[in-house]
Amino acid sequence: MMSIPHIGPDKHQRDDTWSRLLERVGHARDEQAFAKLFAHFAPLIKGFCLGNLNSNFPADAAEEVVQEVMFKVWQKAPSYDATKAAASTWIYTVMRNCRIDLMRRNKRTPTDKDGIDIDDIWDEADDDQAFVYLQQSSNEALIDRSFTQLPPEQRQVLTQVYMQGKTHQQISDETGLPLGTVKSRVRIGLKKMQTLIVGAEKLAEKNRESWQ
Amino acid sequence: MITHHPDDNLLTEYSSGSLANAVGVIVCAHLQTCPHCRKRVEQLNKLGAAILNQSVAEAVQPESFAQLMTRIRSNSEAAASDKASTPQQKPQELHPAYANDPLLKHLPKIIAKLLPRDGKLKWERVSGSLKTARLKTGQSQYEVAFQRISSGGKVVEHDHRGLEVTMVLCGSFSDEDGVYNQGDFLVRNPGEIHRPTATQNQDCLCISVVEAPVKVTGLFGKLVNPFLSFRPA
Repeated sequence: MMSIPHIGPDKHQRDDTWSRLLERVGHARDEQAFAKLFAHFAPLIKGFCLGNLNSNFPADAAEEVVQEVMFKVWQKAPSYDATKAAASTWIYTVMRNCRIDLMRRNKRTPTDKDGIDIDDIWDEADDDQAFVYLQQSSNEALIDRSFTQLPPEQRQVLTQVYMQGKTHQQISDETGLPLGTVKSRVRIGLKKMQTLIVGAEKLAEKNRESWQ
Repeated sequence: MITHHPDDNLLTEYSSGSLANAVGVIVCAHLQTCPHCRKRVEQLNKLGAAILNQSVAEAVQPESFAQLMTRIRSNSEAAASDKASTPQQKPQELHPAYANDPLLKHLPKIIAKLLPRDGKLKWERVSGSLKTARLKTGQSQYEVAFQRISSGGKVVEHDHRGLEVTMVLCGSFSDEDGVYNQGDFLVRNPGEIHRPTATQNQDCLCISVVEAPVKVTGLFGKLVNPFLSFRPA
């Protein structure tokens, strides 16, 4: 029997509501689709930022970040490509870049006028790269699930890294944990997620084979 | 083939946006040449998205969406009138001074953006086989510079008082620990001593980010510090 070319788990996953809405915002400048995205993501972005209270990131800035991120989402939506990233991942990177930008702006020094664009350094667009993805990276649902299965101390340190945007050194300084412990928790956490993901993918593959 | 990559800790700091700009530049340059790490960062970005998805939703101010739409509409009107009055900007082309230099013409996109637009990259001779040119990245914590080692040239042995991150942009060099080819990414921790040598057949170009001054430990160390004085820009 001839096998049907397999598009990969990502392509299928991309069929989610948010990615389709974001495409409509990008292609048709659809304000209703944008309103739905806002209603879902704005409170999450605010919640994510408020997980951030004890950092040098001002607490009252959460609303400002929400405005800034969703403004950029609207502006950049035409470049969104659903075959490359799910809406939530794409919005995460827009949010991360906004936050870096805002934090830099808060402690700007005179030399910063020569600075290069944050979006150039944290470049997710990657338009002229001829990378061939032989294998799609794992889908978001699996990553979501594997993250919740991590032991608390690994989940906590990864949450600190991402939510507070702190370097390993800063986390070590603040928590009193040795730097090596912070580093190894991050590494072991990521490795464990990888094992969980590979296990789940193998299982899915097996089910697919038996189905064919 | 690229054999030296940034580790998971560094890629996580990149993906979470906590890396200093200057180090971010080098990681970005590596990602632009290494599909393997690029894919890793994609995974890590999905982890960022998972943490966003699992955040506790906090109600935003009721007028938030209306405010945003007002801003978007006034911005698109301004943009439309801008477009009518100013000609379309052409994408920046590589200055001929760089395009004719075999070491500089195929730089990763992010590194090409660091080159002075007027074509006047200022090389300073450090020793017979090493030249360096400082690059501006708009921060004061790190010094970012090209290091150009002529074929077969040896760099004076030096140790690092601060973190040094290096990427090979063209050619290759070796030190006590191994051989580093185009795209390879190296981190030297404070206190590590090394003495790089470029391979015989080709000049080698690296970009490095140094956190604090390095001091020379070689015989002529007091006379020739390979990295001159520390001057971030």
